[in-house]
Amino acid sequence: MLRQPLTRAIALSSPSRVAPLGARRYADAVPAQPEKVEVFIDDKPVYVPPGTTVLQAAAQVGVEIPRFCYHERLAVAGNCRMCLVEVEKSPKPVAACAMPVMKGMRVKTDSDLTKKAREGVMEFLLVNHPLDCPICDQGGECDLQDQSMAFGSDKSRFTDIHFSGKRAVEDKDVGPLIKTIMTRCIHCTRCIRFASEVAGVDDFGTTGRGSDMQVGTYVEKMFLSELSGNIIDLCPVGALTSKPYSFAARPWETRRIDSVDVLDPLGSNIVVTTRTNEVLRILPRTNEEINEEWLSDKSRFACDGLKRQRLVTPMLADSRGNLTPVEWEDAIVAAARAIQDCPPDKLLAVAGDLADAESLVALKDLVNRLGSENVYTERDFPLEGSGTDLRSSYLLNTKIANVEDADFVLLIGTNVRFEAPLLNARIRKAFIHKETDVAVIGPKIDLTYDYLHVGDSASVVKDLATGSSSHEVLKRLDAAKRPIVILGADQLKTQEGSALLAYTQELALRLQDKLQDKNWKVLNVLQRSAGAVAALDLGYRPGVATALAAQPRVVFLLGADGGVVTREQLPKDAFVIYQGHHGDVGASIADVVFAGAAYTEKRATYVNAEGRAQQTLPAVSPPGRARDDWKIIRALSEVVGERLPYNNLDEVRDRLGQISPALVSYGEVQDNNYFAQARALSKSLQKPVSGTLDVQLKQLEDFFMTDPISRASPTMAKCVQAVIKQKSSVY
Amino acid sequence: MSIGKILALDKVATFFNIIRQNGGIRASLYKLYRQDELKDGVLVGEDKYGNKYYENPRFFYGRNRWVEYSDNYNMNYDGSQIPAEWFGWMHYKTDLPPHQDPSRPHYKWMSDFTENLSGTTGQYTPYSTTRPKVEAWVPKPKTSQ
Amino acid sequence: MAGALARVIQGTKSHLGLVGPLVNISNVPVRCQQTQAPPTKSQYGPLADSDRIFTNLYGRHDWRLKGALSRGDWYLTKDILLKGTDWIVNELKTSGLRGRGGAGFPTGMKWSFMNKPSDGRPKYLVVNADEGEPGTCKDREIMRHDPHKLVEGCLIAGRAMGACAAYIYIRGEFYNEASNLQVAIAEAYQAGLIGKNACGSGYDFDVFVHRGAGAYICGEETALIESIEGKQGKPRLKPPFPADVGLFGCPTTVNNVETIAVAPTICRRGGKWFASFGRPRNSGTKLFNISGHVNTPCTVEEEMSIPLKELIERHAGGVTGGWDNLLAIIPGGSSTPLIPKDVCTTAIMDFDGLVAAQTSLGTAAIIVMDKSTDIVKAIARLIMFYKHESCGQCTPCREGVSWMNKIIYRFVEGNASPKEIDMLWEISKQIEGHTICALGDGAAWPVQGLIRHFRPELERRMQEYAAANGPSKAERLY
Repeated sequence: MLRQPLTRAIALSSPSRVAPLGARRYADAVPAQPEKVEVFIDDKPVYVPPGTTVLQAAAQVGVEIPRFCYHERLAVAGNCRMCLVEVEKSPKPVAACAMPVMKGMRVKTDSDLTKKAREGVMEFLLVNHPLDCPICDQGGECDLQDQSMAFGSDKSRFTDIHFSGKRAVEDKDVGPLIKTIMTRCIHCTRCIRFASEVAGVDDFGTTGRGSDMQVGTYVEKMFLSELSGNIIDLCPVGALTSKPYSFAARPWETRRIDSVDVLDPLGSNIVVTTRTNEVLRILPRTNEEINEEWLSDKSRFACDGLKRQRLVTPMLADSRGNLTPVEWEDAIVAAARAIQDCPPDKLLAVAGDLADAESLVALKDLVNRLGSENVYTERDFPLEGSGTDLRSSYLLNTKIANVEDADFVLLIGTNVRFEAPLLNARIRKAFIHKETDVAVIGPKIDLTYDYLHVGDSASVVKDLATGSSSHEVLKRLDAAKRPIVILGADQLKTQEGSALLAYTQELALRLQDKLQDKNWKVLNVLQRSAGAVAALDLGYRPGVATALAAQPRVVFLLGADGGVVTREQLPKDAFVIYQGHHGDVGASIADVVFAGAAYTEKRATYVNAEGRAQQTLPAVSPPGRARDDWKIIRALSEVVGERLPYNNLDEVRDRLGQISPALVSYGEVQDNNYFAQARALSKSLQKPVSGTLDVQLKQLEDFFMTDPISRASPTMAKCVQAVIKQKSSVY
Repeated sequence: MSIGKILALDKVATFFNIIRQNGGIRASLYKLYRQDELKDGVLVGEDKYGNKYYENPRFFYGRNRWVEYSDNYNMNYDGSQIPAEWFGWMHYKTDLPPHQDPSRPHYKWMSDFTENLSGTTGQYTPYSTTRPKVEAWVPKPKTSQ
Repeated sequence: MAGALARVIQGTKSHLGLVGPLVNISNVPVRCQQTQAPPTKSQYGPLADSDRIFTNLYGRHDWRLKGALSRGDWYLTKDILLKGTDWIVNELKTSGLRGRGGAGFPTGMKWSFMNKPSDGRPKYLVVNADEGEPGTCKDREIMRHDPHKLVEGCLIAGRAMGACAAYIYIRGEFYNEASNLQVAIAEAYQAGLIGKNACGSGYDFDVFVHRGAGAYICGEETALIESIEGKQGKPRLKPPFPADVGLFGCPTTVNNVETIAVAPTICRRGGKWFASFGRPRNSGTKLFNISGHVNTPCTVEEEMSIPLKELIERHAGGVTGGWDNLLAIIPGGSSTPLIPKDVCTTAIMDFDGLVAAQTSLGTAAIIVMDKSTDIVKAIARLIMFYKHESCGQCTPCREGVSWMNKIIYRFVEGNASPKEIDMLWEISKQIEGHTICALGDGAAWPVQGLIRHFRPELERRMQEYAAANGPSKAERLY
């Protein structure tokens, strides 16, 4: 259904399909706007650029026109006819969502003709819509319900209910996430358009004609996308609802807490819906600069992992080495004793993927006060050259929203689709609407759009950086006005990581220096985890391998579940303290377990891949005797005898601000500089590279379970199984 | 009206009678302390737990039957320690105490009376039939070491 | 079907400003820009044989190139091409030719929309040969008996709008017609009449035949374009109009077969000759299809503005059982409202004449129904057709037409409440004009015609049903 030529042609003139100008700095990619035209909405004059639709013009003066099929981030379909409005001198009402404004147009959104048209469409929609609102999961947040109250007729005249009744449609099976009740479908085709435009999976479509038309996948097939959950939000009725959330709650019973997602490095904004101290579901929250209004499936559906495999009480290994639940006092005293007995240079702290900035700073301060510098992150990053001293070396400098203004994207050793699904959605958006081209160095992967595959050898990067490559990509990069280069942080853990980063810096900064737009940033490093940037900002040193070689006696694992630290690497008598919220890899090797809080249970700071600090808010309380992470470390410090100088969250954040103001300027992202210095420092590291670039997440089934929360989630496990099953199907 | 009555000498006699019946001054003081009242009456019977049941029609209806709990209970006595067979007599459902009532059935399957254990360690606590909202992690027991 | 669906243009004419800002269109009729004084004729028809354009309508002569040449096709085509775009468009404007697909949009003006400064995209001519409208059988006659008229027309029309290729979208059921047309195109290619340097004029022009798969909706111009592009035949939103963004995203004009096929003759004999037929603004000759309860059903070329009664009596041998046995006539294909006998007696067969009779010329497919007809069932069958052919894209048509279908089939047996007649009227009004394409209108109009003229018949049936079976269940809701 993606009308490629048409959408591309329209996209030139329609500002609707790109993010609002306020969110993006590089909006001049849209050609200079001609002067605005005046139109009248209900006699209120409004000046809008030509090409604006009547519906958008009406929105500017605060007139809401009802709609079902129209969605500002999808192509215009114009098929629900709910947005019909009267336009003076037009004999017929026009569809406001598709009609561009014309000079002097007089639109009447409140006239009798308009009301009659809406009432008529509403009646038609309800003719075949089952009135099963009491058992429908969409009840209370249903567009059809709301609009039939506002615009529908007050009585029914559907006499045929006594004769032939209503249409019924067989439900489809599109996987373990989306429940379909197709009888409720009003054929707005939003899901179809989302699938083909945003998700890039052309599986949805309509079959049949007229009243026999059905939305579906033709052959029964799972919706193989990492963004599939968004069609639940898009569906204006209860035809597509969330399977894990089915029959769980009504929207008016729930409390909604704005928070931030931590399951991918982008820090998508979310709303956590809770009832009776239980996370029921997670919905996206609009943030034009990060996730628009989408959310990846992992972030949306892994929330049931927050209720499984939890550490609800502190634990201590008994004489036989089995972890047994104990009181906080016992656990902390045992840990403190081990720490006190340990020489400072044998003390090691390792931070994991989901650690928040507050606990990171508390742990680092504690370790430093004990006389040790051994604070490490699980993820690797080269320390040579400028290392982690310059923020520009490890951030997504272009910023997520600006990616859609890029005209050439080079991806080096990253599968953006699964490492940061919404960043990939941005690239796809640019690819579709702006003719942006993409090139990939690394394994051949399905990114949902076409790209130029340059090779999978690290030497390609070197050739591009030194300008010795004869590949077409080099010319394209040189010619591009706004190129971006995205390097996957996974590539930096190998021996050649530092050289690869150096070459990437060299390439990106060489391109950046030539650009006319001096504010455009080319270099991007895509981190893999939500906690990575904060840890690097706070001075955690990447790469734990060297520290492990020094045979530490006490290891403090702060949510380190990546499996980097294993018992085999540690001396026999090493004492492992694990603090986290899930019983996963880390907890199973620990001698003491501190039960911490997950991201829905604490007010904590996370810094996303572009360096934007955001905070989560507590939606539910930590289960059992689990506690806020920084408070546990604070309590431990007191028993150890090195009391940390902060007693409440504000004081911890003051400390964060002392280290880096960027960590507490919430919602903002600072421009990075010192690119030239980083480049200069990296010059010496440009050694020959020979390896091949590989990515960890290649297939959709790799995407779902990547961290302790999603690994504990039954829904994610079902997804993996369903995807594997679907892949073995002939369709 | 006799002079004795006018001078309330019968009350004095009753007082001494009560003291005597309760076993002297020391014992009476103890009973008064334990039960907050001191009465005289006819011992109607004693149950197998050692509670003694008294009756004195001189007191008005409602106060004329009472129980002196077994000393085993010390100060921790309460109404639920009266066994079922005496319950009827205490509450005026019947005037025949159990050992004088031939119609009382006795089956061998009848279980012993238990007092109300609420508020004690032996109390009944219902278990939750709902699934716990959060499933805790259970560490794998270590086989070696 | 043809342009019966394209009738939507009538409604959205004011939007055409987007297509051709230079053209002054408002609601006042500007149908035809005739320069000469209208002929002061009062008698229209019969058409003289010498004035017939389609001289092999009945297939009595050779339809191939040789026969076509003998009938004057491809005569001096090169000269016409060399006279250039403006001359052809002007000649068409002078002729007053209005689209023969049903909407009746002035062809000359439509072609002139294509002559905007080019932005580098190629332009296409699309010929709508998806003649699916029930009752209509004029285009198939052209395609199987006079295909060279169409091929030559494509070339001339393509020249007039600077198109690089013509796509003829032919209805899937027209197997023989498609074969003949393909043969004609092959002959024309071999004779150098089309293709590179067509007719030696230095103009390159290709003609392709695309066979449909039997969907009525693909006769709607934008659905037809979608179908050629290989997608589901579902109408596009307008604007943008095909003249802006059409086939493969390029400027496109969609014309009916008859419109294209008459163009060469108009160019050869002159626009004034063509304009001399019919009333002003309704000029020309036209193929009429007369079917139903007439003695000799036929397709005939006749002058516009001929009275309906004369047309039937002269060419179709009159209504079976005489004119007095006439019940109603659907004058322009199934999507136009029917007219009862008294209106038929005075109706004039042209655009304006039938609009005055609250109906429409449509494709000029006259369906005659005599008194033996169950008129309600006849209309119900038409609605069932529209219900089946609705593409299901937009709500009023998808839900409304199937609802109307349910109601009207109850009307056939009378199992309905008399109040539902007004309800049905309202439902049809809720569909009309609220849809993306004109199929909704085409489905609503027959119902409106029925209610307008045969309300007593509907009420009588309901009374009969109630007398026999007790009150209808439909009464429960009232």
